[in-house]
Amino acid sequence: MDAAQGSTLEGRAPRKLPKGVKVFDVDIHAHETPAALLPYCEMPWRKSLEVISKVPERYLDIPSFAPLLAVWTPPFPQATGDRRNTVTSAKQMRQDLDELCVDVGVIFPDNLLMLAALRDANYAVALARAYNRWLVDEWLGEDNGIKGAIVAPSQNPMVAAEEIRCYASHKNVAAIYLPSSCVQPLYGDRCYDPVYEAAQETGLPVMLHSVTAVFPVFPFNLNCFSTNFSAHIVSHGFSMVANLLSMMETGVPARYQKLKIGFSEAGIGWVPWIMLRMDKEYMERRRELPYLTDLPSAYVRQMFFATQPIEEPGNMQVMATILSLFGGENSVMFASDWPHHDFDHPNKVLQIPVPPETQRKILGENARRFLKLPKEGA
Amino acid sequence: MSAEYVVARVEDLPEGTHKVVEAGGREIGIFNVRSHYYALPNNCLHQNGPLCKGTASGTVEANAETGWKPQWVRDGEIIVCPWHTAEFDIITGQCLADPRRRLPTYEVSVVGSEIKVRML
Repeated sequence: MDAAQGSTLEGRAPRKLPKGVKVFDVDIHAHETPAALLPYCEMPWRKSLEVISKVPERYLDIPSFAPLLAVWTPPFPQATGDRRNTVTSAKQMRQDLDELCVDVGVIFPDNLLMLAALRDANYAVALARAYNRWLVDEWLGEDNGIKGAIVAPSQNPMVAAEEIRCYASHKNVAAIYLPSSCVQPLYGDRCYDPVYEAAQETGLPVMLHSVTAVFPVFPFNLNCFSTNFSAHIVSHGFSMVANLLSMMETGVPARYQKLKIGFSEAGIGWVPWIMLRMDKEYMERRRELPYLTDLPSAYVRQMFFATQPIEEPGNMQVMATILSLFGGENSVMFASDWPHHDFDHPNKVLQIPVPPETQRKILGENARRFLKLPKEGA
Repeated sequence: MSAEYVVARVEDLPEGTHKVVEAGGREIGIFNVRSHYYALPNNCLHQNGPLCKGTASGTVEANAETGWKPQWVRDGEIIVCPWHTAEFDIITGQCLADPRRRLPTYEVSVVGSEIKVRML
């Protein structure tokens, strides 16, 4: 990230945080370049990273590493795609989080947001393993509130489960990241059972995290759009909806009752919609989902949802209403998505007219229940 | 205050059958499940469809005890609404999809060859 970007956070800290609140941010991003992962990558894939490291880097657009699967729109100066916001060290991240008034942040990757799009399973697994080694080695060494999410490569759930068990006891590993855009099959497939077993056994929550990806045509023919305006709106939301539906189909939340499931990067407005749609259909088609013993909404109320990119109605009372529709007071967690182009400042969450007690939950306490944290707290 | 109504004769309701009758001005369904008699309102809690004009059936369940494999269970104990296939337990009135919803049940007795329903 360039210096000018970093300085824009200065002096913008929330004027009024609820007293004594410890702010958790469940989605921040570290920038893992091919060159950064190279020394952590096993052979022969290290050779591939040597090649890819020589390719000029573009944001989430590196052939064979972070294949851009978005809409190609005409570029303009200072457009979203032109602003390269990256954080490349834990020290820099800590400084940024301080300016955001965030006490505890959970690291997700940048380029590996595209991981599920890679079709060579051995290579994808090697990248995930390299990332996890790099994350633990270079970002999670200190007790400074920087936590990490272990990447679970969807291409090989057995290895994903091994990775989860390998790192679960690390004091700063707080979650598991499930790459959710372009994932095939969807996350309800029984092939992922080993991942959920490992997650439940180790107490690590799973966090589905999507990215703007419209090719291949997942989950619907999103390639029909001509703007990132449309693609960004639906690719995140549809990814969450598609994976949630898939997980309900095979009863993931019923079969793994202690598994904590979170959804990131799609805002929260979609939650009441899909919850109500599922309840409606379930009344008619319950036999198709024989694993459930309650309305789908009852399971949704046990899940967790990250705020970013939060909806911004002119009247923020609307957000308080949306929260009330799915018990969001107890399940919504602040996420900034720092340092990405569409990051949300804690100021935005504080604009929702809810009691301080609810603010306190959304800014910290819900995340504290969701994440795996050392006993004494963060 | 409750009242008893004769709603059918035993020979009119063989095992595994049900029918819609009127009792005290209300439509109810009476059921013979393995020679035990049950009665429910003919009114689905979903959209007020004629529940008891539907088909008595079993249902599908999968849980830890079945190894999470779907099983056909409770054959003849589930009434399925003809409108939107909402399922109800004939014996308890429980809506299978929603644990919060349950139909009232009526007490059924057999005196001689008469089937009687007690209604509040």
